[in-house]
Amino acid sequence: MAHAGQAASAAAAAAASADRKRVKVYELKNNDWYDRGTGFCTGQYVNSPNSTQENPDARVLVVSEDDPNRKLLETQITKDDGYQKQQDTLIVWTESNGVDMALSFQEAEGCASIWEFVSEMQGRLAALAPEDGLSDDLLDPVHSIVLPEPQLGRLDEVENTIRGASTTPAGRDALSKFIMHPEQMYILKLAPLVERAEELESTPDLHRLCMVMKHLILLNDTAIIEFVVTDQAIMGVVGALECKHTVSRYIVGTISANTFADDPDFPSHRANHRQWLSDTSKFKEVVQIDDEEIKRKIHWTYRLLYLKDVVLARILDDPTFSVLNSLIFFHQVDIVNHLQSNQRFLKELFDIFAASSEEKAEKKKEAVLFIQNCCAVSKNIQAQSRAQLYQNFIHHGLFSVVTFALRHHDASVRVAGTDILVALIDHDPHLVRNHIFTAIKEKGVPLTDTLIELLLVEVDLGVKSQMADAIKILLDPTTNQAGIEMLNRGGAANADVMAKRGASGGPGPQGQQNGPQSQTNQFIDSFYESSAKRLFTPLKALLNRPTMSNLSVQETSLYTHLVDVLCFFVRQHSYKSKLFILSENLHSRVAQLLACPQKYMKLMALKWFRTCVGLQDEFHNRQMIQNSLFDPILLIVEETMPRDNLLNSACLELFEYVKREGVKQLIVHLVENYRERLMHITYVNTFQALVMKYDQLTSGYPMANGAEDSSFTTQEGTPQRLADGRQSFAGLKGMDADEEAYFNNDDDGEDDEGLPTVVKRAMINGASPVRPLVSYPDDDDGEEGMDILASSPDPSKEKKSSSSSSDDQRTFTDPIDATQGEPMDEDTTSPTGTVENESPRGRNRTPVAVRGSPGNQGSPPEPLATKRRRDEEDDDDLGKMMGGGVKRRTSSASLSGRAAQLNMDGAVDNSTSRPEPDEENGGPVHNAQSQPSHAHGHGNSHMLRRKGSLRTKNESASERFAIKPISLSAVKQQAEPEENGGKER
Amino acid sequence: MSDLDKAIAQLRACRPIPENQVRELCYKARELLIEEGNVVSVDAPVTICGDIHGQFHDLMELFRVGGDVPETNYLFMGDFVDRGFYSLESFLLLLCLKVRYPDRITLIRGNHESRQITTVYGFYDECLRKYGSANVWRYCCEVFDYLALGALVMGASTELDASDAPLADPTSQSTLPSDADDLEIEILNSAGQIINRFMRARNNTSQDLSQLSNPPSSPSQQTPSRNGAPGTGASGASRGSGGNNGGAVLCVHGGLSPLIDSIDKIRLLDRKQEVPHEGAMCDLLWSDPDEIDGWGLSPRGAGFLFGADIVKCFNHKNDLSLICRAHQLVMEGFKEMFDSTIVTVWSAPNYCYRCGNVAAILELGEDGSNGGYAPRSNGDVGRSNVVLAERMEQRQGPGRRYRVFEAAPQDSRGMPAKKPVADYFL
Repeated sequence: MAHAGQAASAAAAAAASADRKRVKVYELKNNDWYDRGTGFCTGQYVNSPNSTQENPDARVLVVSEDDPNRKLLETQITKDDGYQKQQDTLIVWTESNGVDMALSFQEAEGCASIWEFVSEMQGRLAALAPEDGLSDDLLDPVHSIVLPEPQLGRLDEVENTIRGASTTPAGRDALSKFIMHPEQMYILKLAPLVERAEELESTPDLHRLCMVMKHLILLNDTAIIEFVVTDQAIMGVVGALECKHTVSRYIVGTISANTFADDPDFPSHRANHRQWLSDTSKFKEVVQIDDEEIKRKIHWTYRLLYLKDVVLARILDDPTFSVLNSLIFFHQVDIVNHLQSNQRFLKELFDIFAASSEEKAEKKKEAVLFIQNCCAVSKNIQAQSRAQLYQNFIHHGLFSVVTFALRHHDASVRVAGTDILVALIDHDPHLVRNHIFTAIKEKGVPLTDTLIELLLVEVDLGVKSQMADAIKILLDPTTNQAGIEMLNRGGAANADVMAKRGASGGPGPQGQQNGPQSQTNQFIDSFYESSAKRLFTPLKALLNRPTMSNLSVQETSLYTHLVDVLCFFVRQHSYKSKLFILSENLHSRVAQLLACPQKYMKLMALKWFRTCVGLQDEFHNRQMIQNSLFDPILLIVEETMPRDNLLNSACLELFEYVKREGVKQLIVHLVENYRERLMHITYVNTFQALVMKYDQLTSGYPMANGAEDSSFTTQEGTPQRLADGRQSFAGLKGMDADEEAYFNNDDDGEDDEGLPTVVKRAMINGASPVRPLVSYPDDDDGEEGMDILASSPDPSKEKKSSSSSSDDQRTFTDPIDATQGEPMDEDTTSPTGTVENESPRGRNRTPVAVRGSPGNQGSPPEPLATKRRRDEEDDDDLGKMMGGGVKRRTSSASLSGRAAQLNMDGAVDNSTSRPEPDEENGGPVHNAQSQPSHAHGHGNSHMLRRKGSLRTKNESASERFAIKPISLSAVKQQAEPEENGGKER
Repeated sequence: MSDLDKAIAQLRACRPIPENQVRELCYKARELLIEEGNVVSVDAPVTICGDIHGQFHDLMELFRVGGDVPETNYLFMGDFVDRGFYSLESFLLLLCLKVRYPDRITLIRGNHESRQITTVYGFYDECLRKYGSANVWRYCCEVFDYLALGALVMGASTELDASDAPLADPTSQSTLPSDADDLEIEILNSAGQIINRFMRARNNTSQDLSQLSNPPSSPSQQTPSRNGAPGTGASGASRGSGGNNGGAVLCVHGGLSPLIDSIDKIRLLDRKQEVPHEGAMCDLLWSDPDEIDGWGLSPRGAGFLFGADIVKCFNHKNDLSLICRAHQLVMEGFKEMFDSTIVTVWSAPNYCYRCGNVAAILELGEDGSNGGYAPRSNGDVGRSNVVLAERMEQRQGPGRRYRVFEAAPQDSRGMPAKKPVADYFL
């Protein structure tokens, strides 16, 4: 079937290649370019009722290359869409609904012909509508602007003309045209003036040159920006821009000199961009890149980044900022695609590591740094390109490079090695785990063991913690899960898909997930078979250590990481880690750390016990009881009380938790063994309350008040959610069954071992409400899904959705609501209005919502998803304030009416402000404020989001890609089968 | 000059200190912070500051306007990092000052002092760029976990001695109250000139103070006529006055939590952790006051919205005269709400270098009698009940002096925002 399809589309492609241009369709969403698919592009006239001879309905059409019946794009050409051609193969414009689109052509000729079609159409349409205000502008006399021939004496004239012209859109257009006219090459003419002005030490001239250059760049014309980073122009441009600082200091020197010390890097406050770009910065070509175009792009990208981050950082307005970003993005895509598909290049690159000679050492180091650089860049590009890059890298031996780098004597190379590894795991953990499996099968040293070995000996504290992190990520069974969450959030999929996924016990995404999941489980199993022991050897070695008072910095750091990793494991791999912890008696070992003189070590150890207690797992409780480990903890309370410090609070919180949750096993143990000591701690009532609880227990009262007190359910939401999450996660039936069995064998009969007989009877009589939470052994998937479904029609969410103005917002809000909105709603609706009675308000609300609601238990833990959501919300304050009006706007404001330029800016603006929480959440109040800010307020959001978006986009982009109904070209599938792997995830 | 002083000097020049020094600094800070309670007790006089967000030069402007450390006692309510270009320098400078003058400066945690948020909003990238590795970011995040969650200002005077500064607008002489006896609020511009004053209403407190929800028109139009006059600091003006104890002031980054009905409960949190997604600790850092009744869902997705009734109950129960918080941008730099029971202070002028807002700091004077209040420890059992029975009316708010300031002049910051990498492969 697939073959037939391929053949058909290949044939179709061949037949139509003459007049159809292969093209990728991009759409700007949340400030990132999303790939809508690859197809063939045509320009067509359509017969529609509205079209006339003079006013034809012309469209740009892209049909998917593997399904000719599916249109990836159909857009009518209007005169206002602001089509722009960038580089040789790109056309960008803004749809009438405000969405930014881009077509990236495979061939420059294809681009040119479509561009011709579009320009011609636009020309005809513009001619048709002379009554339009914009067209009037176009006919304005400034249309053909001419700047004076640049010379030092006339710079003020030049500057004034530019200033004047940039106030109107038409003027800016005309100016750009003039500047970029091949006969003019105006920018090149300015460069010699900089040198001459410097020779004459003419500060005013330098200042004017700087202003002129600044204005020209902020015209925000793609062609100009592309031009200024070319070899011929760049030095003159940054030369002119260097001058600003000198002059400004000259003017307000008094203030800055008084208040701020000079930066020694810039002794005269004069930037040294030229020196930096020509001398300091070095392009390192580890392996010769044959393609001159790509090489040029690498330089351009570097200069664009330099302009963006350094030269223009202070003066950039948002439209220019996004133009810079877009250019950088498209360059990077080209560069990475070129490199990863260049077999010769890859071979040479990885052959460097094959060479054994010593003299290659420096070369090897550079090659590692190069690969690190590649991985970093690839984070910014689309998932499928990234996947291909990694696939090709791995094919050529990326893993041995990682191993090489991790063992390198130079810390910077080790950092690079872990960076590459972490990037790889982030990209696809299964890839890495598969590799490790293979290594184990072939009796090689698996990467995990290398990491462990290195973690134990690493002296660079930074690298050490990075390695600890890598180990955690590698063994995180939810890495995959997080990916799936992202997929749902980022994609067109929304709550429906979420719900389906949750509801589907067997088939569907859930089923897909099982493959990788069992692999992950296997991986974790094998870890506990041997590697775990090695990892925690130092912890075990504490047994023979007589005193804790002489730990070195290296040791404390190592123990910190080990305990941290252990905390992570016990939450994530509960069953498997238990046996291990038991056999190594790690509880007692960690307890030794409580005796460290360093308070942060005590805290770390406490964290471990708090984690265990938070799991409400009888196994851990029993371990702590048997080894009398509450004794040292109580000791810390007694030592620190009644001082109010972090250590003391951490201890209190632990006992508070035991009290609040009514963990009977522990209460009984504590009171029966330490009653006197507890009673003596009176500065808070936690300890007396524990004793009271015990007394209630023993006197036969059911301990029903556990719930009452749990108003204070605070962050134990976290461990609990995690614990629950582990169970609901991926429906690990097998695992749960194991666990059940384990408990049945082990715990039966001794479950209540510590309880006095009286209590035992009480328990039988239904004291179970004490711990309704502990075991939901298998909340089956169906129920989980229903919960999510049920939460979808939640009224508050309905309101939100309806007030959001675009579908994109939904994709953001819905999954959030599904998981978060419900419990929060419960939280908040009931208490509203119960003001006068504050204490019940404080008490009852949350426990009900947090603990009692099945929806909450059922909702999958999506740490990543929630994180992103929160991040997006965080712009809240900004969003609100934008309603208040923006006082400081730079030249971009004048752009708003400028159709021809709107292509990038306008749409970037729209899309970037979209995730602003106000709108996203649709709070009516805020909405009213933030809506009008669209036109002007976009800037901020963009500014704010730029880093974040760069970071988040690809995850979502990748997952998006995986679920979107885009199918890749048949041709491609053959060539790069790994793309399927990407989809399955 | 000690290493620490050298580091302070270097950071004041907006130059990062080497990685190993950062590590040492963070270790020292950790030792200090671990001794602080979740709610730190701070004695008036103190100058309270809101979000900084890496706007280093504006932080220097803040110190110029408010007085330098250690002459002025400072309390920063979090959000030191992210968004601005100099998160690293700003935070490290504050941390250095904390280590150098532990009793003169208090830092509490904001929602941006978190690993997750900083990876998205710039601090992580900044560290990566400035040091080439994430190590410094890790050290800083470790310190974030140790930061206190709130502070309780004690001994703030209810009286405010009118400063004898000139008026910013001499024509307003007649309209401004001249009788200094009952001054409650004074607003000064960055040149130390008086912009506005508000008297304490004698009888009908709530009614009259409600106008302060909209502080007088933004002082941003007024250009300071003289430069460089350092602020007199909070300590100067009201020292020696015999005012009454104004009740304690709770300072927290975000706001209240439905899970926290008394300040003592904050003590029972284990704060050394990443800011959770829910629960009391999260709420303290994420919530916002809003014109609603009771509690509401926060559009931020974390924390809650809380109304006037919540604030008043909480203040009453905990014997507070005021809650001071940051977290939300306000164009005027500060905004009092709910009959002046809660105030938002925002200290990042022209936020994100483009919002056009002014910033403010809040000075609370010292209660001169110094016997008017009994130092309370958080551990006083049952204190709140006694208070509840005793007092049924609203506490008189402390005298408040707001200093409003604008962004540092553009040109004082002419250096490149980021150091580029020298070697590039791609």
